[in-house]
Order: sequence, then C-alpha cells, then structure tokens
Amino acid sequence: MKILTIFFIVYVIALSFIPLVHQLFIAQSSWLGYGTGDYAYQAPTYFVLFNNPYDGSSKPNIHVNPSFAPNERISIVEFSDWTSYVDGFNLFNDFNVTIRASADGKILDATYSRPGLELHKMIEVTSGTVQVKIIANKEISAHVELWKWIMTSVNNYTIATAPKPMLIPTSTSINFTFNDQSLNATGTGMISLSRVPTQIEVWPFENGFNRVTVDFINSEMTFTVSGSITEPGQVSWSYADLPYVLPIIAIVTVTGYLLVERYGQKNKDRAGRVHS
Amino acid sequence: MDKRIKIVLAAFIVRAAIAPFFMHAGDLGTIYESSAIALNGGNLYNFVYQQTLQMQYATGLPVFFEGYAYHPLLIYFFVPFYWVYTLIAGPSPSIIGGHFPSLPVLVYPWSLIAILMLKLPIILADVAVVYILAGIDRKKAEIYAFCPYIIFISAVWGMFDAIVALFLLISYLTFNRKNSYVVSGLAYGLSLMKLYTIVLLPLYGARLWGKWKDLGKFILGFSVTLLPVAYYWMVSLLAFWNVLVGFQANRIMGGVNLYNFVWIIPDVNFDLWVSRIPNILLVVSVLAIVMLYGRRLPLLEAILAVMLVSFVFGKVLNEQFLVSIFPLMLLCEECDTRLWIAPFSFIFLRSPFYYFAIPILWGSPYFYDLYFQADTIWRYLQTVGYLMIPMYAVGIAFSLLLFWNLTQVLSISRPAAGTLSRSFSRVIRILRK
Repeated sequence: MKILTIFFIVYVIALSFIPLVHQLFIAQSSWLGYGTGDYAYQAPTYFVLFNNPYDGSSKPNIHVNPSFAPNERISIVEFSDWTSYVDGFNLFNDFNVTIRASADGKILDATYSRPGLELHKMIEVTSGTVQVKIIANKEISAHVELWKWIMTSVNNYTIATAPKPMLIPTSTSINFTFNDQSLNATGTGMISLSRVPTQIEVWPFENGFNRVTVDFINSEMTFTVSGSITEPGQVSWSYADLPYVLPIIAIVTVTGYLLVERYGQKNKDRAGRVHS
Repeated sequence: MDKRIKIVLAAFIVRAAIAPFFMHAGDLGTIYESSAIALNGGNLYNFVYQQTLQMQYATGLPVFFEGYAYHPLLIYFFVPFYWVYTLIAGPSPSIIGGHFPSLPVLVYPWSLIAILMLKLPIILADVAVVYILAGIDRKKAEIYAFCPYIIFISAVWGMFDAIVALFLLISYLTFNRKNSYVVSGLAYGLSLMKLYTIVLLPLYGARLWGKWKDLGKFILGFSVTLLPVAYYWMVSLLAFWNVLVGFQANRIMGGVNLYNFVWIIPDVNFDLWVSRIPNILLVVSVLAIVMLYGRRLPLLEAILAVMLVSFVFGKVLNEQFLVSIFPLMLLCEECDTRLWIAPFSFIFLRSPFYYFAIPILWGSPYFYDLYFQADTIWRYLQTVGYLMIPMYAVGIAFSLLLFWNLTQVLSISRPAAGTLSRSFSRVIRILRK
C-alpha cells in the first residue's frame, strides 16, 4: 500500500505542473482552439482572443501584456460582430461563420458567408503589432465597431471637444489613450488603416469614449493594432498566474492528506485504546 | 405505521417538495428535449450527432455537442412521465433551450410541472434505494434518505445517478442468491445507463469464470438490456457510435478530480492528448484490481474497489457520480461515506447556486434581474481565476479521499501475488499476451 500511496502522490504532484509546462513551452505564438470553439494567441507582448461562432463579442479582442506584469492582459481594442455590418447585414446574426487556423498556427481565418457575399477576417500577430485584415469577394460597404472601456482621447479629441457622437476627420491612423479600469493603468493604442475610410466616428461614454466606428467602401481593409502601457497601475492577481499556483495547491493538499493519514490514524488508535 | 415505510415516505416528501423549483438547466433541458424527441419517434443520436458536426464544421475543432450521450434505455425511464406531462400541459414546449452557455426560456406554470414529472423517476429510484437499505439497516437508510448531497443531486439538480445506484445495488444483492443471476445481469445492464459502470463488467466476468451456467444466466439478463443498443446500432450506426463512443472516448478529462487543472489550458488538441494518460491508467488499474482482488474480496468490496479505482484514475468524475456507489459504500464497513462533502462543495464552486434556482428566479422580473447582477460577480470571479483554486484543491482532496477508501477496501485482503511491483509485472505480462 505504501508504494501505491507514493506512486499516487507523485502522480498528483507531477500532473499539477502540466499547465505550467504548456504555458511556457507550447502555448506561445500559435493560434490554439479551445472550449466551444474559441481561439487564443499568446505572443510575448500580445494576447489575442477570438470568440467562438456563437458569440459576437471579441472578434478579436486584442490585449497587451505589460512589461511590469507579463501575466496581465489589458485589452487595447475589441472588434465586435454584434455591432458591425457589411452591406447592411449584421456580422453576427446574418452570416454563417467558420473559423480555421492556418497549418502553421500563425493566421486565424474567420470566413463569413451569405448568398452572394463572402468575406474573410484574417488575424495575424507579428512582432510588434496585430493585423486584422478584412477581405471580401467584392466591393463592400462596411461599418466596423471597435470598443475600448474607456478611451480618454481619440486623435486628440476628448470628451470636452466631442461631448456627443461625432465624426472626426478621416485618416489612416487612429491614435488613442486609455484608462484600464481593472488595473488602473494608462496606455496608448494605435490603429493603422490600409486605406482612408469614408468616415470615423467617436462615441462618448462617461469621461471618455467607449467606441470608435470605422466605415469604408472597398473589398479590402487592414487594421494594424499596437499599444503599450505608459503608466503602470496596481499589479494584482491574474488568470495567467494560475499555472504557477496549481503545483503549490497540489503539494499543500497532498501534505495535508499525509499528515491526516499518519497522525489522524494514531489518534484514532489511541482513542480506540481508551475506549477498550 | 411501519418505520421502514415512514422513512421511505419522508424521503419522498422531502424530494418532491423541492423538485419543481430547482433544476440544472443544461442537464434537465437535455432530458426534456430527448423525451420529446423519443416520444415523437425521433432518433436522439442523429440529433446530437448533427449538432456536433455543425459545431466541428463551424470551429474547425474536435469539440462535441453535450447532449444525450447515454444508453438508449435511459430515456424510456423518462418518456412515460413526459407523456403524462403532455396529457396535462399539452404538446407545446415549456422548457426552451438551456444548452450551455445559453439560458432556458420557461413557460409558467407548465415548466414547473415538467420539472417535477421528469424528476419523478429519479426520486422514485432514490426512494427504492431507501426502501432496500431500510430492510438491511435502518440507520444507513436514514443517511441515504436525508443526506444533503443525495437530495441535491436528485431533487435539485435533476441528475439520474440514483437510478444507476438502484440497479447497481440490486445487481449486488441478487448476485449471490440462487437463481438470481438473470436478475443480477439485468440490473447490471440497466446500471449502464451511465456508462461509467462498464468497468464492472470484467469483475462480474471474473467472479463467474468457471461457473458457466451462472455466467450464462447473467449474460442472458445482461443481453436483454442490449436490445435497444442493437436497434440503434442497426438504424444509425455512425451517429450512435459518434455520440456514445466518440464523445466518451474523446472527452477532455476533468471534474471533481485531480485532472481538472486541464480547464485552465486553452488548447483543445493538447487537452485531448493529455487526457489519454488517465485512460491508460484506468485500464491498467481496473485490470489489476480485477485480477489481484476480484475473486479474493467479498463481492461488495470488490465492486467498490473497481468503482473507486475507476473514480481515482478515470479521466472524468462529475459531481454526481458518487451517488451511484453511495448505497454500497453505506453497506461497506471499511468505507468512510463522509467523503460526499467534497463533491457537494464542488457543485457550488463550479455552478453558482442561483443557477439551480432558475425556475424560481425566472418567475419574477425582479429576481430575473437579480440573477444577472449576481452572475456578473460570479463571472468576474471565474474569469480572474479565483474559483479555479478551490476547485482544484477540492478535486485533489476528493481523489485522495477516494484513494484512501480504496486502500481501506483493499486492506481486508492481500493480493494473490506478494509484492505490488510483482503484481504489476504480472498484469503487464498478461496484457502483453
């Protein structure tokens, strides 16, 4: 029984390291699918999430891993299918969507199709940026919504200069600053567009803007997103810390079991003797 | 009134009073949906298979639709009750949707009646277990009748492991009686409506090896339960195979066990690969127990040893699985049945309690709103990973408690061949052959 117990305990502790091994050696820089069809990409400085076909949010959601807390994930910008349209059709409700990662795991291709129209949203993470490329099989009129809670300024417009939804001058770059509410950190983001869009609109919310909408007429548009944290906030617990914690939990629980098995048994015996 | 009847009645009343107001929307919704399909003559496995194919096509991943993935016999325990419900409420649906991650739409008051009716076979199974146990030991019957964990799984959650427990108990009690091998085989076959009791098949085989007449009787009873399997095998082989075998074999490990760490690894292909480790250990450990202890231990302890080792090493161990062996554990002197506390506490770490109270909360706009307010907090705790820490700790603790019970059960007999390492070598040799 002793050998069996030792084997089982070693087994429990050894398995608890699997998430850490995966995080350090396998999960880096490749699109990985999980859950009900979500995909995630972890690069050294960016974490990108692309939700499953049954969810219209985070299509994709681009996060930055700040250097002061590499396990933290701070969202820079989220593309939303719930609120984006192509030729008047809602990307979430009016299209059939299939998602595939390329063979090398570097590019994620989400295909949106409906009669007479097919478009691809291709996401690629390069060394310092995340590219979201929209390619259609014909010229389209698109309305893309980009969300961030909250941007304190967009192309130098603030809530003071744009207190209501407002069209701002079109250009190929959208620069914004933001406050991250979860970490209380501040940062900057930049979205470069491959072509000048027909309109860019900012939408006020509380003390800043919570979304920027980009409208364009073309068969192709690339959004190149980058961002960084300029002022570190409070470093707190992060989900990505879990792989480091699980081995500790395993060791503590197993130790507790061994102690109870050893001393609990002795006490039981002693109690038995007293009664007898 | 006879005390035995009093306990049985009390067990029934407690459960029936709670039943209509709570449910696990995903699981009870599956039974509701499947009962409707079965009553209308539809093919359950085709439905689930189509959903799986659709998900796999959309995502490009080996993901499965979690629907009716049980023995075909199971649904016929629910269909008569569903049919009675339709006589009362009519054919219009009253529980709509509810497959994870979506929430159900409930039509009042019919949904409450539907919930009660679909839980009745489970409650009756619970009550039958209480009745049988009361005939053996009234105190043990009381523990089963009023154990919060057992009541929760049957009357609140709406999971049907009590039916498995009943048939497993009958199979055990009738096994050693003269001329009861047919009943034992039949009851064992019925316990397979949740497939995890399949690990007992080699044990029954080992116990009856050489007693060919008794083995024949056991197989006769057992084979009756395979008739619906044969039917579905013929009419929709691909769907049946995919849903029952493909899903179970390609399931990602996890549950109230030491494997739930896999839930934090967002990589389905890796998760599937690593889930093979428990499969190997499960096969080796079950065969080892059967060969070394299968005939030496008394039947009760032998059954428990095989089930416990499959729970310890098997890749999936859901909160409700313990119900199936709980009556047997109560009858076993070496077992500590207080281990139910671990899966019971795990329930509330994995799903918030208000999720089970949907039939109450959906009844008023105020409570409906409260549900989503509470859910925002819950989802935050989940997303940040705070819940995963206690879930993992409870998972390991439960595995260790099961392991401890296993060692207690095995300790009443010494294995056939001296040391453990020698025994393992023997198993490996036999496997190679």
